[in-house]
Amino acid sequence: MSVMQDFTKGLWKELPPFRLLLGLCPTLAVTNSADNGLGMGMAVIFVLVLSNMIISMVRTIIPKKVRIACFIVIAASLVVAVELLMQAYAYPLYQQLGIFVPLIVVNCIILGRAEAFAAKNGIAASVADGLGMGLGFTLSLTFLGSIREILGNGTWFGKSVMWEGFEPLSIMVQAPGAFICLGLILAGMNMINIWQAQRTGHEPEALKQGCGSCQACASADTQCRQG
Amino acid sequence: MSGSTSVLLAMSAPPYWHCGRTIRQTSLYMLVGLAPAIVMAVWNWGLPALRVMALCVSTAVAVEALCQRAMGRDCSVDDFTAVVTGLLLAFLLPAAAPWWLVMLAATVAITLGKMAFGGLGANPVNTPLVGWAVLFVSFPLFMDPNAMQLTTDFTDPLTRLKYFGAEAVADISLMDLLLGQQIGGLGASQAGALLLGGSFLALRGIIRWQIALGFFLGAMAPAALCFMVDPSLNASPFFHLCTGSIILGGFFLITETANAPVRPLPMFLYGLIGGGLTFIIRKYGIYVDGVPFAVLLANMLTPFLDMIRPKPFGGR
Repeated sequence: MSVMQDFTKGLWKELPPFRLLLGLCPTLAVTNSADNGLGMGMAVIFVLVLSNMIISMVRTIIPKKVRIACFIVIAASLVVAVELLMQAYAYPLYQQLGIFVPLIVVNCIILGRAEAFAAKNGIAASVADGLGMGLGFTLSLTFLGSIREILGNGTWFGKSVMWEGFEPLSIMVQAPGAFICLGLILAGMNMINIWQAQRTGHEPEALKQGCGSCQACASADTQCRQG
Repeated sequence: MSGSTSVLLAMSAPPYWHCGRTIRQTSLYMLVGLAPAIVMAVWNWGLPALRVMALCVSTAVAVEALCQRAMGRDCSVDDFTAVVTGLLLAFLLPAAAPWWLVMLAATVAITLGKMAFGGLGANPVNTPLVGWAVLFVSFPLFMDPNAMQLTTDFTDPLTRLKYFGAEAVADISLMDLLLGQQIGGLGASQAGALLLGGSFLALRGIIRWQIALGFFLGAMAPAALCFMVDPSLNASPFFHLCTGSIILGGFFLITETANAPVRPLPMFLYGLIGGGLTFIIRKYGIYVDGVPFAVLLANMLTPFLDMIRPKPFGGR
Protein backbone atom coordinates (compact mmCIF):
# COMPACT_ATOMS: atom_id res chain seq x y z
CA MET A 1 0.00 0.00 0.00
CA SER A 2 1.25 3.43 -0.85
CA VAL A 3 1.51 6.24 1.67
CA MET A 4 -1.46 7.91 0.01
CA GLN A 5 -3.63 4.86 0.58
CA ASP A 6 -2.53 4.70 4.21
CA PHE A 7 -3.70 8.26 4.56
CA THR A 8 -7.04 8.02 2.77
CA LYS A 9 -8.26 4.79 4.34
CA GLY A 10 -8.92 6.64 7.59
CA LEU A 11 -11.25 9.06 5.85
CA TRP A 12 -14.01 6.65 4.78
CA LYS A 13 -13.14 2.97 4.53
CA GLU A 14 -11.85 2.66 8.08
CA LEU A 15 -13.32 5.87 9.51
CA PRO A 16 -12.60 5.38 13.22
CA PRO A 17 -15.83 6.25 15.06
CA PHE A 18 -18.34 5.37 12.35
CA ARG A 19 -16.82 2.36 10.52
CA LEU A 20 -14.54 0.78 13.11
CA LEU A 21 -16.64 2.05 16.04
CA LEU A 22 -13.47 2.89 17.93
CA GLY A 23 -13.13 5.80 20.32
CA LEU A 24 -16.86 6.05 20.98
CA CYS A 25 -16.44 7.43 24.48
CA PRO A 26 -15.27 10.93 23.43
CA THR A 27 -17.45 10.68 20.30
CA LEU A 28 -20.56 10.46 22.42
CA ALA A 29 -19.48 12.53 25.37
CA VAL A 30 -17.92 15.74 24.06
CA THR A 31 -19.78 16.37 20.80
CA ASN A 32 -22.52 18.60 22.20
CA SER A 33 -21.11 21.40 20.05
CA ALA A 34 -19.11 21.54 16.82
CA ASP A 35 -16.38 23.48 18.62
CA ASN A 36 -15.85 20.76 21.18
CA GLY A 37 -15.80 18.08 18.51
CA LEU A 38 -13.18 19.95 16.50
CA GLY A 39 -11.06 20.66 19.58
CA MET A 40 -11.16 17.06 20.72
CA GLY A 41 -10.28 15.90 17.21
CA MET A 42 -7.29 18.24 17.04
CA ALA A 43 -5.95 16.90 20.32
CA VAL A 44 -6.35 13.34 19.01
CA ILE A 45 -4.59 14.18 15.71
CA PHE A 46 -1.65 15.58 17.65
CA VAL A 47 -1.34 12.55 19.92
CA LEU A 48 -2.05 10.00 17.20
CA VAL A 49 0.44 11.30 14.64
CA LEU A 50 3.25 11.66 17.18
CA SER A 51 2.57 8.36 18.92
CA ASN A 52 2.45 6.54 15.58
CA MET A 53 5.72 8.19 14.57
CA ILE A 54 7.56 7.45 17.83
CA ILE A 55 6.26 3.89 18.06
CA SER A 56 7.26 3.25 14.47
CA MET A 57 10.76 4.58 15.26
CA VAL A 58 11.29 2.40 18.29
CA ARG A 59 9.38 -0.66 17.08
CA THR A 60 12.52 -2.72 16.58
CA ILE A 61 13.89 -2.16 20.09
CA ILE A 62 10.68 -2.73 22.08
CA PRO A 63 10.50 -6.30 23.43
CA LYS A 64 7.33 -7.99 22.16
CA LYS A 65 6.13 -8.96 25.64
CA VAL A 66 5.99 -5.45 27.09
CA ARG A 67 4.94 -3.60 23.97
CA ILE A 68 1.49 -2.57 25.28
CA ALA A 69 3.00 -0.94 28.35
CA CYS A 70 5.50 0.89 26.14
CA PHE A 71 2.77 2.12 23.81
CA ILE A 72 0.75 3.40 26.75
CA VAL A 73 3.74 5.23 28.22
CA ILE A 74 4.43 6.94 24.91
CA ALA A 75 0.77 7.89 24.44
CA ALA A 76 0.50 9.09 28.05
CA SER A 77 3.52 11.38 27.69
CA LEU A 78 2.02 12.90 24.56
CA VAL A 79 -1.37 13.34 26.22
CA VAL A 80 0.20 15.14 29.15
CA ALA A 81 1.92 17.42 26.65
CA VAL A 82 -1.33 18.16 24.83
CA GLU A 83 -3.13 18.71 28.12
CA LEU A 84 -0.55 21.26 29.26
CA LEU A 85 -0.63 22.96 25.85
CA MET A 86 -4.40 23.25 26.03
CA GLN A 87 -4.27 24.65 29.53
CA ALA A 88 -1.81 27.26 28.31
CA TYR A 89 -3.41 28.29 25.01
CA ALA A 90 -7.03 27.05 24.91
CA TYR A 91 -8.22 27.10 28.48
CA PRO A 92 -11.99 27.45 27.78
CA LEU A 93 -11.84 24.42 25.47
CA TYR A 94 -9.86 22.51 28.09
CA GLN A 95 -12.55 23.24 30.64
CA GLN A 96 -15.27 22.10 28.23
CA LEU A 97 -13.57 18.81 27.40
CA GLY A 98 -12.69 18.16 31.03
CA ILE A 99 -11.76 14.58 31.87
CA PHE A 100 -11.88 13.50 28.23
CA VAL A 101 -8.50 15.08 27.43
CA PRO A 102 -6.56 12.85 29.87
CA LEU A 103 -8.74 9.95 28.73
CA ILE A 104 -7.22 10.17 25.23
CA VAL A 105 -4.54 7.86 26.68
CA VAL A 106 -6.98 4.98 26.82
CA ASN A 107 -8.71 5.92 23.57
CA CYS A 108 -8.96 2.74 21.51
CA ILE A 109 -7.78 4.50 18.37
CA ILE A 110 -4.37 5.40 19.77
CA LEU A 111 -3.56 1.92 21.02
CA GLY A 112 -5.35 0.28 18.09
CA ARG A 113 -3.31 2.08 15.45
CA ALA A 114 -0.10 1.57 17.44
CA GLU A 115 -0.67 -2.16 17.69
CA ALA A 116 -2.21 -2.74 14.28
CA PHE A 117 -0.18 -0.40 12.15
CA ALA A 118 2.71 1.58 13.63
CA ALA A 119 4.35 -1.46 15.24
CA LYS A 120 4.60 -3.13 11.83
CA ASN A 121 5.25 -0.29 9.34
CA GLY A 122 7.77 2.37 8.55
CA ILE A 123 7.77 5.94 9.79
CA ALA A 124 6.31 7.63 6.72
CA ALA A 125 3.46 5.14 6.42
CA SER A 126 2.74 5.36 10.16
CA VAL A 127 2.57 9.14 10.09
CA ALA A 128 0.26 9.02 7.07
CA ASP A 129 -1.93 6.48 8.85
CA GLY A 130 -2.06 8.56 12.03
CA LEU A 131 -2.84 11.72 10.07
CA GLY A 132 -5.62 10.03 8.09
CA MET A 133 -7.17 8.35 11.10
CA GLY A 134 -6.92 11.53 13.16
CA LEU A 135 -8.41 13.62 10.39
CA GLY A 136 -11.25 11.13 9.94
CA PHE A 137 -11.87 11.18 13.68
CA THR A 138 -11.85 14.99 13.74
CA LEU A 139 -14.23 15.29 10.79
CA SER A 140 -16.56 12.69 12.31
CA LEU A 141 -16.66 14.46 15.65
CA THR A 142 -17.15 17.86 14.04
CA PHE A 143 -19.96 16.47 11.87
CA LEU A 144 -21.72 14.85 14.82
CA GLY A 145 -21.15 17.95 16.94
CA SER A 146 -22.54 20.18 14.17
CA ILE A 147 -25.75 18.18 13.87
CA ARG A 148 -26.25 18.14 17.60
CA GLU A 149 -25.44 21.82 18.05
CA ILE A 150 -27.61 23.01 15.16
CA LEU A 151 -30.65 20.98 16.19
CA GLY A 152 -30.16 21.21 19.92
CA ASN A 153 -29.03 24.80 20.28
CA GLY A 154 -29.78 26.51 16.98
CA THR A 155 -26.14 27.54 16.54
CA TRP A 156 -23.11 26.36 14.60
CA PHE A 157 -19.66 27.13 16.02
CA GLY A 158 -21.46 29.50 18.36
CA LYS A 159 -23.19 31.48 15.59
CA SER A 160 -26.96 31.45 15.28
CA VAL A 161 -27.98 29.69 12.06
CA MET A 162 -31.65 28.85 12.52
CA TRP A 163 -34.62 31.06 11.81
CA GLU A 164 -36.23 33.47 14.27
CA GLY A 165 -38.49 31.71 16.75
CA PHE A 166 -36.76 28.34 16.34
CA GLU A 167 -37.31 26.18 19.42
CA PRO A 168 -34.11 24.17 19.98
CA LEU A 169 -34.63 20.43 20.29
CA SER A 170 -32.54 20.34 23.43
CA ILE A 171 -32.51 16.54 23.77
CA MET A 172 -29.89 16.67 21.01
CA VAL A 173 -27.25 18.36 23.18
CA GLN A 174 -27.99 15.99 26.05
CA ALA A 175 -26.74 12.44 26.37
CA PRO A 176 -29.64 10.65 24.58
CA GLY A 177 -29.19 12.90 21.54
CA ALA A 178 -25.64 11.56 21.08
CA PHE A 179 -26.91 8.00 20.85
CA ILE A 180 -29.79 8.90 18.53
CA CYS A 181 -27.48 10.85 16.21
CA LEU A 182 -24.80 8.14 16.20
CA GLY A 183 -27.37 5.47 15.37
CA LEU A 184 -28.82 7.50 12.53
CA ILE A 185 -25.35 8.31 11.12
CA LEU A 186 -24.36 4.62 11.19
CA ALA A 187 -27.60 3.71 9.42
CA GLY A 188 -26.99 6.46 6.87
CA MET A 189 -23.45 5.24 6.18
CA ASN A 190 -24.68 1.68 5.69
CA MET A 191 -27.30 3.01 3.30
CA ILE A 192 -24.71 4.94 1.27
CA ASN A 193 -22.46 1.87 1.09
CA ILE A 194 -25.30 -0.40 -0.07
CA TRP A 195 -26.39 2.18 -2.62
CA GLN A 196 -22.83 2.56 -3.92
CA ALA A 197 -22.38 -1.19 -4.15
CA GLN A 198 -25.60 -1.54 -6.09
CA ARG A 199 -24.57 1.21 -8.47
CA THR A 200 -21.22 -0.35 -9.23
CA GLY A 201 -22.85 -3.75 -9.61
CA HIS A 202 -21.11 -5.37 -6.65
CA GLU A 203 -22.83 -7.54 -4.13
CA PRO A 204 -23.55 -5.22 -1.14
CA GLU A 205 -21.45 -6.03 1.90
CA ALA A 206 -23.69 -8.13 4.11
CA LEU A 207 -24.78 -6.30 7.22
CA LYS A 208 -23.51 -8.23 10.18
CA GLN A 209 -26.51 -9.33 12.16
CA GLY A 210 -25.54 -11.33 15.21
CA CYS A 211 -28.95 -12.90 15.78
CA GLY A 212 -27.48 -15.55 18.03
CA SER A 213 -26.09 -12.91 20.37
CA CYS A 214 -29.57 -11.72 21.32
CA GLN A 215 -30.63 -13.36 24.57
CA ALA A 216 -34.31 -13.75 23.75
CA CYS A 217 -33.65 -15.54 20.46
CA ALA A 218 -30.88 -17.65 21.93
CA SER A 219 -33.04 -18.92 24.78
CA ALA A 220 -36.03 -19.57 22.52
CA ASP A 221 -33.67 -21.43 20.19
CA THR A 222 -32.41 -23.65 23.00
CA GLN A 223 -35.99 -24.30 24.06
CA CYS A 224 -36.99 -25.27 20.57
CA ARG A 225 -34.09 -27.68 20.28
CA GLN A 226 -34.88 -29.27 23.63
CA GLY A 227 -38.60 -29.45 23.03
CA MET B 1 -25.51 -17.39 13.80
CA SER B 2 -26.75 -20.94 13.52
CA GLY B 3 -30.03 -19.90 15.15
CA SER B 4 -32.16 -19.38 12.11
CA THR B 5 -31.09 -22.50 10.25
CA SER B 6 -30.94 -25.11 12.99
CA VAL B 7 -34.47 -24.66 14.36
CA LEU B 8 -36.56 -27.73 13.74
CA LEU B 9 -40.03 -26.82 12.61
CA ALA B 10 -42.78 -29.38 12.86
CA MET B 11 -44.95 -28.85 9.81
CA SER B 12 -48.13 -30.67 9.02
CA ALA B 13 -49.89 -30.89 5.72
CA PRO B 14 -52.41 -28.23 4.71
CA PRO B 15 -55.23 -27.18 4.82
CA TYR B 16 -54.61 -24.69 7.59
CA TRP B 17 -57.19 -22.75 9.53
CA HIS B 18 -56.82 -19.02 10.18
CA CYS B 19 -58.05 -17.87 13.56
CA GLY B 20 -59.55 -14.79 11.92
CA ARG B 21 -57.68 -12.17 13.92
CA THR B 22 -55.99 -9.53 11.82
CA ILE B 23 -53.88 -6.50 12.67
CA ARG B 24 -56.50 -4.24 11.18
CA GLN B 25 -59.24 -5.77 13.30
CA THR B 26 -57.17 -5.38 16.48
CA SER B 27 -56.46 -1.75 15.62
CA LEU B 28 -60.12 -1.07 15.00
CA TYR B 29 -60.96 -2.58 18.38
CA MET B 30 -58.35 -0.29 19.94
CA LEU B 31 -60.02 2.69 18.27
CA VAL B 32 -63.40 1.59 19.62
CA GLY B 33 -61.85 1.35 23.07
CA LEU B 34 -60.41 4.84 22.72
CA ALA B 35 -63.63 6.34 21.35
CA PRO B 36 -65.23 7.27 24.73
CA ALA B 37 -62.06 9.13 25.69
CA ILE B 38 -62.07 10.99 22.35
CA VAL B 39 -65.63 12.14 23.01
CA MET B 40 -64.85 13.17 26.56
CA ALA B 41 -61.67 14.98 25.47
CA VAL B 42 -63.62 17.07 22.97
CA TRP B 43 -66.34 17.60 25.58
CA ASN B 44 -63.86 18.88 28.18
CA TRP B 45 -61.27 20.66 26.05
CA GLY B 46 -63.34 21.68 23.02
CA LEU B 47 -62.13 21.93 19.47
CA PRO B 48 -58.43 22.44 20.33
CA ALA B 49 -58.35 18.81 21.50
CA LEU B 50 -59.90 17.64 18.24
CA ARG B 51 -57.33 19.69 16.33
CA VAL B 52 -54.40 18.09 18.17
CA MET B 53 -55.80 14.58 17.70
CA ALA B 54 -56.52 15.08 13.99
CA LEU B 55 -53.11 16.62 13.32
CA CYS B 56 -51.28 13.93 15.26
CA VAL B 57 -53.10 11.05 13.57
CA SER B 58 -52.76 12.44 10.06
CA THR B 59 -49.06 13.20 10.56
CA ALA B 60 -48.42 9.71 11.91
CA VAL B 61 -50.17 8.06 8.97
CA ALA B 62 -48.44 10.28 6.41
CA VAL B 63 -45.00 9.74 7.93
CA GLU B 64 -45.51 5.99 8.06
CA ALA B 65 -46.56 5.92 4.40
CA LEU B 66 -43.53 8.04 3.43
CA CYS B 67 -41.14 5.85 5.42
CA GLN B 68 -42.51 2.68 3.85
CA ARG B 69 -42.12 4.22 0.43
CA ALA B 70 -38.55 5.26 1.18
CA MET B 71 -37.75 1.78 2.51
CA GLY B 72 -39.19 0.18 -0.61
CA ARG B 73 -41.89 -1.71 1.25
CA ASP B 74 -45.57 -2.23 0.62
CA CYS B 75 -47.66 0.53 2.10
CA SER B 76 -49.46 -0.88 5.14
CA VAL B 77 -51.07 2.17 6.68
CA ASP B 78 -54.48 0.60 6.06
CA ASP B 79 -53.90 -1.65 9.09
CA PHE B 80 -54.63 1.46 11.22
CA THR B 81 -51.72 0.90 13.60
CA ALA B 82 -50.37 4.36 12.81
CA VAL B 83 -53.79 5.80 13.62
CA VAL B 84 -53.73 4.15 17.05
CA THR B 85 -50.16 5.35 17.63
CA GLY B 86 -51.03 8.91 16.63
CA LEU B 87 -54.11 8.92 18.81
CA LEU B 88 -52.31 7.56 21.88
CA LEU B 89 -49.58 10.14 21.39
CA ALA B 90 -52.14 12.94 21.06
CA PHE B 91 -53.73 11.75 24.31
CA LEU B 92 -50.49 12.53 26.14
CA LEU B 93 -50.12 16.06 24.72
CA PRO B 94 -51.76 19.16 26.15
CA ALA B 95 -54.80 20.35 24.18
CA ALA B 96 -53.13 23.72 23.56
CA ALA B 97 -49.96 22.22 22.06
CA PRO B 98 -48.67 24.25 19.08
CA TRP B 99 -48.94 22.61 15.65
CA TRP B 100 -45.21 22.09 15.14
CA LEU B 101 -44.94 20.30 18.47
CA VAL B 102 -47.70 17.86 17.53
CA MET B 103 -46.27 17.19 14.09
CA LEU B 104 -42.73 16.78 15.44
CA ALA B 105 -43.93 14.38 18.13
CA ALA B 106 -45.80 12.21 15.61
CA THR B 107 -42.85 12.23 13.20
CA VAL B 108 -40.33 11.26 15.88
CA ALA B 109 -42.64 8.54 17.23
CA ILE B 110 -43.12 6.89 13.84
CA THR B 111 -39.58 7.29 12.47
CA LEU B 112 -37.43 6.71 15.56
CA GLY B 113 -39.91 4.67 17.56
CA LYS B 114 -41.16 2.35 14.87
CA MET B 115 -39.73 2.47 11.34
CA ALA B 116 -36.06 2.78 12.37
CA PHE B 117 -36.35 -0.64 13.98
CA GLY B 118 -38.09 -2.20 10.99
CA GLY B 119 -41.75 -1.36 11.35
CA LEU B 120 -44.67 -2.88 13.18
CA GLY B 121 -43.76 -5.39 15.87
CA ALA B 122 -40.02 -4.72 15.76
CA ASN B 123 -40.03 -1.73 18.08
CA PRO B 124 -38.27 -2.42 21.40
CA VAL B 125 -40.22 0.20 23.34
CA ASN B 126 -43.66 1.70 23.09
CA THR B 127 -43.92 3.80 19.92
CA PRO B 128 -46.03 6.78 21.10
CA LEU B 129 -43.89 7.12 24.20
CA VAL B 130 -40.70 7.52 22.15
CA GLY B 131 -42.22 10.61 20.55
CA TRP B 132 -43.48 11.80 23.89
CA ALA B 133 -40.14 11.28 25.66
CA VAL B 134 -38.02 13.07 23.02
CA LEU B 135 -40.34 16.06 23.10
CA PHE B 136 -40.74 16.04 26.87
CA VAL B 137 -36.98 16.14 27.45
CA SER B 138 -36.55 18.85 24.78
CA PHE B 139 -39.49 21.13 25.54
CA PRO B 140 -40.51 20.67 29.18
CA LEU B 141 -42.49 23.90 29.06
CA PHE B 142 -44.54 23.14 25.93
CA MET B 143 -45.23 19.59 27.09
CA ASP B 144 -46.42 20.65 30.55
CA PRO B 145 -50.24 20.77 30.42
CA ASN B 146 -50.26 22.93 33.53
CA ALA B 147 -48.23 25.65 31.83
CA MET B 148 -50.07 25.39 28.50
CA GLN B 149 -53.68 25.46 29.74
CA LEU B 150 -53.85 28.92 31.23
CA THR B 151 -57.48 29.73 30.39
CA THR B 152 -59.14 26.79 32.11
CA ASP B 153 -60.98 26.43 35.42
CA PHE B 154 -59.63 22.94 36.02
CA THR B 155 -56.71 22.29 38.35
CA ASP B 156 -53.78 19.97 37.95
CA PRO B 157 -54.20 17.44 40.78
CA LEU B 158 -50.75 15.86 40.50
CA THR B 159 -48.85 19.16 40.52
CA ARG B 160 -50.85 20.16 43.57
CA LEU B 161 -50.04 16.89 45.29
CA LYS B 162 -46.35 17.30 44.47
CA TYR B 163 -45.92 20.87 45.61
CA PHE B 164 -48.69 21.49 48.16
CA GLY B 165 -49.06 18.08 49.79
CA ALA B 166 -51.92 15.64 50.22
CA GLU B 167 -54.19 18.04 52.12
CA ALA B 168 -54.40 20.34 49.12
CA VAL B 169 -55.95 17.57 47.03
CA ALA B 170 -58.14 16.05 49.74
CA ASP B 171 -61.20 18.00 48.61
CA ILE B 172 -60.95 17.01 44.92
CA SER B 173 -63.84 14.66 44.25
CA LEU B 174 -63.24 11.38 42.47
CA MET B 175 -66.27 12.03 40.26
CA ASP B 176 -64.63 15.18 38.85
CA LEU B 177 -61.48 13.23 38.12
CA LEU B 178 -63.39 10.40 36.44
CA LEU B 179 -65.25 12.92 34.26
CA GLY B 180 -61.94 14.41 33.18
CA GLN B 181 -62.36 17.70 35.03
CA GLN B 182 -58.62 17.98 35.57
CA ILE B 183 -55.55 19.33 33.81
CA GLY B 184 -53.47 16.69 32.11
CA GLY B 185 -52.73 15.23 28.72
CA LEU B 186 -55.85 15.87 26.64
CA GLY B 187 -56.95 12.24 26.54
CA ALA B 188 -54.97 10.84 29.45
CA SER B 189 -57.01 12.92 31.85
CA GLN B 190 -60.35 11.37 30.75
CA ALA B 191 -60.05 8.71 33.45
CA GLY B 192 -63.62 7.41 33.45
CA ALA B 193 -63.89 7.09 29.68
CA LEU B 194 -60.54 5.31 29.45
CA LEU B 195 -61.58 2.95 32.26
CA LEU B 196 -64.70 2.09 30.28
CA GLY B 197 -62.91 1.58 26.97
CA GLY B 198 -60.00 -0.25 28.55
CA SER B 199 -62.27 -2.66 30.42
CA PHE B 200 -64.10 -3.40 27.18
CA LEU B 201 -60.83 -4.23 25.41
CA ALA B 202 -59.63 -6.36 28.33
CA LEU B 203 -62.90 -8.32 28.35
CA ARG B 204 -62.68 -8.84 24.60
CA GLY B 205 -59.13 -10.12 25.01
CA ILE B 206 -57.64 -7.45 22.74
CA ILE B 207 -55.37 -6.33 25.54
CA ARG B 208 -54.13 -8.75 28.18
CA TRP B 209 -55.83 -8.29 31.54
CA GLN B 210 -52.79 -9.74 33.34
CA ILE B 211 -50.69 -6.72 32.35
CA ALA B 212 -53.36 -4.16 33.20
CA LEU B 213 -54.13 -5.82 36.53
CA GLY B 214 -50.44 -5.99 37.40
CA PHE B 215 -49.97 -2.34 36.48
CA PHE B 216 -52.86 -1.06 38.57
CA LEU B 217 -51.89 -3.30 41.47
CA GLY B 218 -48.27 -2.17 41.25
CA ALA B 219 -49.26 1.49 41.37
CA MET B 220 -52.14 1.27 43.86
CA ALA B 221 -50.89 -1.24 46.44
CA PRO B 222 -47.94 0.85 47.65
CA ALA B 223 -50.13 3.96 47.45
CA ALA B 224 -52.75 2.26 49.62
CA LEU B 225 -50.07 1.19 52.09
CA CYS B 226 -48.76 4.76 52.38
CA PHE B 227 -52.32 6.07 52.67
CA MET B 228 -53.08 3.70 55.53
CA VAL B 229 -49.91 4.65 57.38
CA ASP B 230 -50.50 8.40 57.16
CA PRO B 231 -53.55 9.79 55.29
CA SER B 232 -52.48 13.37 55.97
CA LEU B 233 -49.27 12.99 53.99
CA ASN B 234 -50.31 10.64 51.19
CA ALA B 235 -53.07 10.78 48.62
CA SER B 236 -55.53 7.91 48.38
CA PRO B 237 -54.86 5.09 45.90
CA PHE B 238 -58.01 5.98 43.95
CA PHE B 239 -56.75 9.53 43.56
CA HIS B 240 -53.56 8.09 42.07
CA LEU B 241 -55.56 5.81 39.78
CA CYS B 242 -57.67 8.62 38.34
CA THR B 243 -54.92 11.23 37.83
CA GLY B 244 -52.12 11.59 35.35
CA SER B 245 -52.04 8.85 32.78
CA ILE B 246 -52.21 5.71 34.94
CA ILE B 247 -55.37 4.36 33.29
CA LEU B 248 -54.12 5.20 29.79
CA GLY B 249 -50.77 3.64 30.65
CA GLY B 250 -52.18 0.49 32.22
CA PHE B 251 -54.73 -0.28 29.54
CA PHE B 252 -53.26 1.14 26.34
CA LEU B 253 -49.55 1.91 26.61
CA ILE B 254 -47.89 -0.87 28.59
CA THR B 255 -50.03 -3.54 26.91
CA GLU B 256 -48.67 -2.89 23.40
CA THR B 257 -48.14 -6.45 22.21
CA ALA B 258 -44.79 -5.90 20.51
CA ASN B 259 -43.17 -4.84 23.79
CA ALA B 260 -44.94 -7.07 26.30
CA PRO B 261 -43.86 -10.52 27.48
CA VAL B 262 -45.79 -13.41 26.00
CA ARG B 263 -46.68 -15.61 28.97
CA PRO B 264 -49.16 -14.91 31.80
CA LEU B 265 -46.79 -14.81 34.77
CA PRO B 266 -44.16 -12.61 33.09
CA MET B 267 -47.02 -10.40 31.85
CA PHE B 268 -48.25 -9.91 35.41
CA LEU B 269 -44.75 -9.19 36.71
CA TYR B 270 -44.18 -6.79 33.82
CA GLY B 271 -47.30 -4.84 34.74
CA LEU B 272 -46.37 -4.93 38.40
CA ILE B 273 -42.91 -3.49 37.68
CA GLY B 274 -44.41 -0.73 35.52
CA GLY B 275 -46.94 0.19 38.18
CA GLY B 276 -44.38 0.08 40.97
CA LEU B 277 -42.01 2.33 39.04
CA THR B 278 -44.87 4.77 38.45
CA PHE B 279 -45.50 5.00 42.17
CA ILE B 280 -41.81 5.42 42.94
CA ILE B 281 -41.41 8.20 40.36
CA ARG B 282 -44.54 9.96 41.63
CA LYS B 283 -43.57 9.81 45.26
CA TYR B 284 -39.82 10.30 45.12
CA GLY B 285 -38.99 11.47 41.57
CA ILE B 286 -38.94 14.94 40.06
CA TYR B 287 -41.72 14.23 37.55
CA VAL B 288 -45.33 14.66 38.63
CA ASP B 289 -46.67 11.83 36.47
CA GLY B 290 -44.27 8.91 36.20
CA VAL B 291 -46.33 6.70 33.89
CA PRO B 292 -44.57 7.26 30.52
CA PHE B 293 -41.07 6.79 31.90
CA ALA B 294 -42.17 3.82 34.00
CA VAL B 295 -43.68 2.16 30.92
CA LEU B 296 -40.52 2.79 28.89
CA LEU B 297 -38.38 1.24 31.63
CA ALA B 298 -40.70 -1.75 31.95
CA ASN B 299 -40.49 -2.23 28.15
CA MET B 300 -36.73 -2.60 28.49
CA LEU B 301 -37.18 -5.50 30.91
CA THR B 302 -39.36 -7.54 28.55
CA PRO B 303 -36.50 -9.64 27.09
CA PHE B 304 -35.50 -10.66 30.62
CA LEU B 305 -39.06 -11.39 31.71
CA ASP B 306 -39.49 -13.52 28.61
CA MET B 307 -36.73 -15.78 29.93
CA ILE B 308 -38.93 -16.93 32.81
CA ARG B 309 -39.88 -20.50 31.87
CA PRO B 310 -40.20 -19.85 28.12
CA LYS B 311 -42.15 -22.19 25.88
CA PRO B 312 -42.39 -22.30 22.10
CA PHE B 313 -45.70 -21.20 20.66
CA GLY B 314 -48.26 -23.96 21.04
CA GLY B 315 -46.10 -25.94 23.50
CA ARG B 316 -47.67 -27.49 26.57
